[in-house]
Amino acid sequence: METLLEILNDIDDTVNWEDETALIDDRILDSFGVISLISELEDQFEIEIDASEIVPENFNSADAMWKMIQRLQEN
Amino acid sequence: MALAYHTELYLFVFLPLVVLVYHFSSQKMRRAVLILAGYIFFWSFSQWLVGYLIAVSGLVYGAGRWMEQLKETGKARSKGLPSKERSAVKKQYKAKEKKVLIAGIVILLGILAYLKYCNFFIQNINRIFAASGSGFHLNPQNLLIPIGISFYTLEAIGYMADVYWGRIKAEHNFGKVALFLGFFPQIMEGPISSWNDTADALWECRPVRSENLTKGIIRIAWGLFKKIVVADRLSVLVAAIYDDYTSYHGVMIVVVAIAYTLQLYMEFSGCMDIVIGSGNLFGVDLPENFRQPFFAGNASEFWRRWHITLGAWLKAYVFYPVSVSGLVKKWNHFARKHVGKYLTKMGIFAMTLFPVWMCNGLWHGAQWNYILYGMYYFVILLAGEAVAPVREMVLERFHLDCHALYWRVPQILKTWMIIFTGEMFFRAEGAAAGFHMFRSIFQGFELQKLWDGTLLGMGLNAADFAAVGFGILIVAVADILKERKLLNWDKLQEMKLPVRWILYYGLIFAVLLLGAYGTGYQQVDLIYAGF
Amino acid sequence: MQDFKQKMRTLKKPAVFLAIFLCLILILSAFFVNMAKKHPEFVQSRNRPWLNIQNEKKNSIDVLVLGDSESYTTFSPLEIWKQNGIASFVCGQTGQEVEETYYMLRRALRTQEPKVVVFETNSMFQPQNAAEGFSKTIAQTVNYYFPVFLLHSMWQNWLMGPEKQQVYYKGFVVRDIVEPYDGGSYMEKTERREYMSRAVRSYMDKMLAMCREKGISVILYSAPSPNNYNYAKHNTLTDYAEQNGAEYLDFNLMTEELGIDWEKDSLDNGDHLNVLGAEKLSRYFGSYLEEHYDLEDHRKDPEYSSWNEDVQKYQNAEKNAIRKIEVILEYLRKKKQK
Repeated sequence: METLLEILNDIDDTVNWEDETALIDDRILDSFGVISLISELEDQFEIEIDASEIVPENFNSADAMWKMIQRLQEN
Repeated sequence: MALAYHTELYLFVFLPLVVLVYHFSSQKMRRAVLILAGYIFFWSFSQWLVGYLIAVSGLVYGAGRWMEQLKETGKARSKGLPSKERSAVKKQYKAKEKKVLIAGIVILLGILAYLKYCNFFIQNINRIFAASGSGFHLNPQNLLIPIGISFYTLEAIGYMADVYWGRIKAEHNFGKVALFLGFFPQIMEGPISSWNDTADALWECRPVRSENLTKGIIRIAWGLFKKIVVADRLSVLVAAIYDDYTSYHGVMIVVVAIAYTLQLYMEFSGCMDIVIGSGNLFGVDLPENFRQPFFAGNASEFWRRWHITLGAWLKAYVFYPVSVSGLVKKWNHFARKHVGKYLTKMGIFAMTLFPVWMCNGLWHGAQWNYILYGMYYFVILLAGEAVAPVREMVLERFHLDCHALYWRVPQILKTWMIIFTGEMFFRAEGAAAGFHMFRSIFQGFELQKLWDGTLLGMGLNAADFAAVGFGILIVAVADILKERKLLNWDKLQEMKLPVRWILYYGLIFAVLLLGAYGTGYQQVDLIYAGF
Repeated sequence: MQDFKQKMRTLKKPAVFLAIFLCLILILSAFFVNMAKKHPEFVQSRNRPWLNIQNEKKNSIDVLVLGDSESYTTFSPLEIWKQNGIASFVCGQTGQEVEETYYMLRRALRTQEPKVVVFETNSMFQPQNAAEGFSKTIAQTVNYYFPVFLLHSMWQNWLMGPEKQQVYYKGFVVRDIVEPYDGGSYMEKTERREYMSRAVRSYMDKMLAMCREKGISVILYSAPSPNNYNYAKHNTLTDYAEQNGAEYLDFNLMTEELGIDWEKDSLDNGDHLNVLGAEKLSRYFGSYLEEHYDLEDHRKDPEYSSWNEDVQKYQNAEKNAIRKIEVILEYLRKKKQK
């Protein structure tokens, strides 16, 4: 989780990543943000994010992202 | 154009008839009524090619069921196996599913490409051979294109991909798939909806309610206002200049670029209002295709406000899949180590944006000006991302507020220039004509042409310009109210009945009195129906 | 049954909405018609015949002419009045479609009791498929019952000042330009028949039946026009007239009898006639009407005194037009010599 927040703050440190729950719906993360985030996540956590994972529910909050990462790491 | 949405036949005969029959049918029958209405609608344009729509429905229905079965078998087979083997079996079945998906997409896109692009390739091949001096020549084919093919093909692909990704369950009822793809208001010009957007609401076939009727009727009237008061007049001016574009330069080209952009907006968004209003009559909220596009602060925001459903489709089914594709991943690994973060990111953007905008251009049709149009936005969006760090720096350095008017307004004006230029190329007959027009802007600007009567020689008289100005004013006010969230279609419904009805009558009579129909005018075909 | 009642109730509000709408349309229609009668200058040129026939004195017209531009450029009522004293009127309009013709006739028959109705036949060959015919029927029916749809653009002339108006002489338009037709003969004999669309045929049938019912004689005529006519059309029209007990005059076969000079009488290279050609055709038509139909000579009738005033204006316009045509012919001749 720490690493994730680090990555997120690296993208934009003006956002309160821990508390936001509608990152996608409120367009805090736009599509460019999402794909640069994905490339970071894949690199850092050594996971493969599939196109089917790119839905708002997986990216709306740091929490959701963390859950997705864990799920993908298990596989 | 048989039952096109702006014709008397559709508005005063077909639509009311379908609503009445729907209303007096039982819920189960209503589904049949809507499906049948879709096929009659389709028939009125393309006759027996309606078989193609049914075949597409059958294809995606079958593909969905097949993928579902593979999913289930995979799950059953992998049950009780050790985890390593389990994932191997799962992978094996996923691969099979992928084959089904790809086969489905290839068939649909193959037919679309053949019908829409075949002649484009023949023409260009002929051009190449002619240039090389060879006598080789292919004859262009006379192909009948089923109406709306570009729209429901995308919906069909979206459905299959969603099933493949497990976002939705494969539908077991063929009728539901048929209605999803063949709901008549959407056939001709979209909006391109995803299964989650509309399938359930359509299948529910809610009873007709009087609120929905008034909501729908007023939305349709609003669309007609945009189309026949503004767009149909502007189309005269636009055609006059484009048909003879070499005779114009300077300010006249600027005028026609702006006029065409406004025409396209009024006409396409107006048609969407008629479409969404038609949906409302049956209690369905179709997705919006426009959200005050002229308030966009940059090109990428513009595309989230203009033809929204096409942009959303390309994002979901081209942009994201490409962004997680092997090639992009390889670049990501490689570039991170060698070229630094910024260039890595730019590389990824370029690799993902290029197919999106190529598809956007090609989707409109196989003509060089459309491809140019797509590439134009590709370059602008990529440049926008490339200078993003600089913009951030400027904002921070000078403590500027990016929401303040002094920043927003110039941004919006800049975006307007981008939009007008883009649409100028979009409308041009081929890329060369577009470039010619663009260059001629700078060859003698002659601002006085705006008031020396030149404009009155383009088929519109002063009264027509007054009507256009009035129409644009009304639409602009409505858009500002919507943008500021002071007004929306639901809020209108909450107003007191007398106020509401007066507004409705006012709008309907504005269309009736100011509309460019009858003596001296010709009915203008829908632009997007051609794509 | 309960369900059905419930369903009817749902429609109550929309029905009230529509009822009020209909009332407003009727009020507006009355207002627009009233305005048009008071201020003809606000009415668009093409709609003027619609207004003018309503403004003619009741039961004063004996011969009513309908059709597209081929009618009002060839049939000149005041020319005939001068020669035969027959009171005729042209309700032709640019590109008049059969649906419009039908409602124009119905509108005219509300106030007039003509003895003869004359159709120019060019509009009978407009291609109209079923869907087009249907849309046009809707549009024209609506225009007939709710004239606000027809007159809705009147605000333009009201706001911007009257446009330059076409001057109508009992429906005839004086054309003062000449562009010779040099294509030679065009009525090659054939057994072929030109196709007449089902929509057109049904409207023609309806109009002819209406005339029959009222005891009105019908004449179909084809104005001399190399661009628009050929022998196949002649055959179709001959058949049609025969089947329906109507007279048919094809002036394309009578150009010599009329004395049409394609060097001088053509307005636009064989599409329409100019005033010189119209004079010839109208004189022939006037004599024909006098000979074959029981039509009164109204020239001495005090009820028709205004017609004699109109003739004065018409003759002035005619004179000016002929002078202009001569200038153009002179210019063309000189150009040719070079």
